[in-house]
Amino acid sequence: MKYEMFDAKKIIGEVTLQEADANPNIVVVSTDSAPRTGMTGFITKYPNRYYELGIMEQGAVGVSSGLATAGKVPIFCAPAPFVTARPFEMFKIDIGYMQQNVKAIGRNCGFNYSDLGPTHYGLEDMALARLIPGVTVLAPIDASQLRGAMRAMLRHQGPVYLRIGTAPIPKIFEEEEFTIGKGQIVREGKDVAIITTGEIAVNVFEAAETLAAQGINAMVVAMPTVLPLDEAIIKKAAEATGRIVVVEEHYEVGGLGTAVCETCAKLAPVPVKRLGVPHVYLSAGPYIDLVKYCKLDPAGIVETVKEFTTQEK
Amino acid sequence: MEANTLNELKKFALDIRIETLNMISKHGFGHMGGSLSVADAIAVLYGNQMKYDPQNPKWDGRDYLVLSKGHCGPALYSALAIKGFFPREELLTINKLGTRLPSHVDKNLTPGIDMTAGSLGQGVSCALGMALGLKLQNKPNMVYAIIGDGEAQEGQVWETMLIAPNKGVKNFIVMLDNNKQQLDEFTNHISSLGDVRQKAEDFGWYALTVNGHDPNAIDEAIEKCKAADKPGFINMETVKGKGWQAKECVLNNHALRGPAFAGVDEVIENFRKELAAMQ
Ligand SMILES: Cc1ncc(C[n+]2csc(CCOP(=O)(O)OP(=O)(O)O)c2C)c(N)n1
Ligand SMILES: [Mg+2]
Repeated sequence: MKYEMFDAKKIIGEVTLQEADANPNIVVVSTDSAPRTGMTGFITKYPNRYYELGIMEQGAVGVSSGLATAGKVPIFCAPAPFVTARPFEMFKIDIGYMQQNVKAIGRNCGFNYSDLGPTHYGLEDMALARLIPGVTVLAPIDASQLRGAMRAMLRHQGPVYLRIGTAPIPKIFEEEEFTIGKGQIVREGKDVAIITTGEIAVNVFEAAETLAAQGINAMVVAMPTVLPLDEAIIKKAAEATGRIVVVEEHYEVGGLGTAVCETCAKLAPVPVKRLGVPHVYLSAGPYIDLVKYCKLDPAGIVETVKEFTTQEK
Repeated sequence: MEANTLNELKKFALDIRIETLNMISKHGFGHMGGSLSVADAIAVLYGNQMKYDPQNPKWDGRDYLVLSKGHCGPALYSALAIKGFFPREELLTINKLGTRLPSHVDKNLTPGIDMTAGSLGQGVSCALGMALGLKLQNKPNMVYAIIGDGEAQEGQVWETMLIAPNKGVKNFIVMLDNNKQQLDEFTNHISSLGDVRQKAEDFGWYALTVNGHDPNAIDEAIEKCKAADKPGFINMETVKGKGWQAKECVLNNHALRGPAFAGVDEVIENFRKELAAMQ
């Protein structure tokens, strides 16, 4: 499948600017990285609504919280680990506990920062954000969803964490309104359900076609919202297929895979296979090599799903 | 310092610059600016100050360096390879899958690296812990930490600045690679460090400012810090991208990718000629 490709940073910047035109309360908080998040347009047009604080992520979360109390809608964007892991307690209390209207964007998530290695990977960012009650966690799948999710995030009242990668992002879906908390059945199938989130999903779609050609009909469910989780759609997928594979560019521990297991245990106990980043310290290395190593490429997904669907229940 | 020693340190620093540019340009990505600005300090540390054994990196008589601005791994890897911790050819494996040499320094992977860094601000606290632990055992080993001026915006750095003198560590020297630039910007445009030497002194450090590209001056400053009754703080005035003239003190010299390396071969070639002329 050939998709039109977009620059995720550009989309983030464009939507921020559009929404900022309509909402004078939107401000941008940066820790030595705003231009890298596509914010140059915003900075040029609204220099007074832009706070470059320097490299101080923990403080930046606090400052964002304070800005929210003063009626502002701060967007704090930085590499995923520096938005979640580094200032975790600030996120938990200054944003989560107080339910502050702060919008955090973790970019270069997963192992997208493959040139920078383990200190810069965001492999537990969803797990951390998901642990904080009342935080909405978004991981859009394609360019259209990213646009929609950005808009929804900025109009939503309350804390949001949005994760995004680095690589060019394909446009797979038509643009439509993004509803927080809704999953989407992208492909019908009865042999197995593959539930996926974030930009790695494009490999799932390709894998599903290959699987179909080999006689395995997979239902594919896109989950651009990880919290609050669309439990109804998971239950439906479990009941329709009896087996679930979860694919995500995140540790197999703590992310969507874990969330799906929790839901299945509660509502529809079926076998679940989590296909993500193994729970070890991943090497630095070219992104494409890491995708293959984790079996998150289409071939790896096909192999995993085949193995799993032929297993005894 | 004897003329001969100074000459050796200058050659070592040049060699570090050559290997650094070679490895990151061949790989097609790497933190150029901060690696070149810190090259002279690393040359002095590994060329004249630190005790170490390349054959036995874990030798317990060694001095320790924490490169808290961990993104400048390439400069340190070059020094370690030149000194024989691992073969020079290995430098070209930077960031390949399964490498022992990732962009950011990694204790688990590289012979000669004692502390992982990369998330800014963290290394300097770890370094203080090492100094405290060695002091407790009355060991003579020194602990050095190199931080960046952008890194100094992290609150964690100032926690260490406040507590270290209060704990009476004397085997601890923090070296600031004050190259006036951070990732996107000139540091002063974001958050000025002001008179950072004075600040350190006010916090209780024995603090000096030196030209961070003069091996003699760096070496003397380290000697003075070692003799002092307090932890030492050396504000090294440096130039980001030092040695690659077209990239000195300009925006976008932090990390280079692909086409941004244009012209690098000529720079390396000139360094090589300079080095040969010094033999
Ligand atoms: C906690 C953290 N936040 C952000 C980054 C991304 N980052 C890497 S290097 C850098 C700039 C560092 O500037 P400085 O300390 O002055 O280093 P130098 O100029 O010597 O390269 C930034 C923001 C990081 N590595 N760690
Ligand atoms: Mg700097």
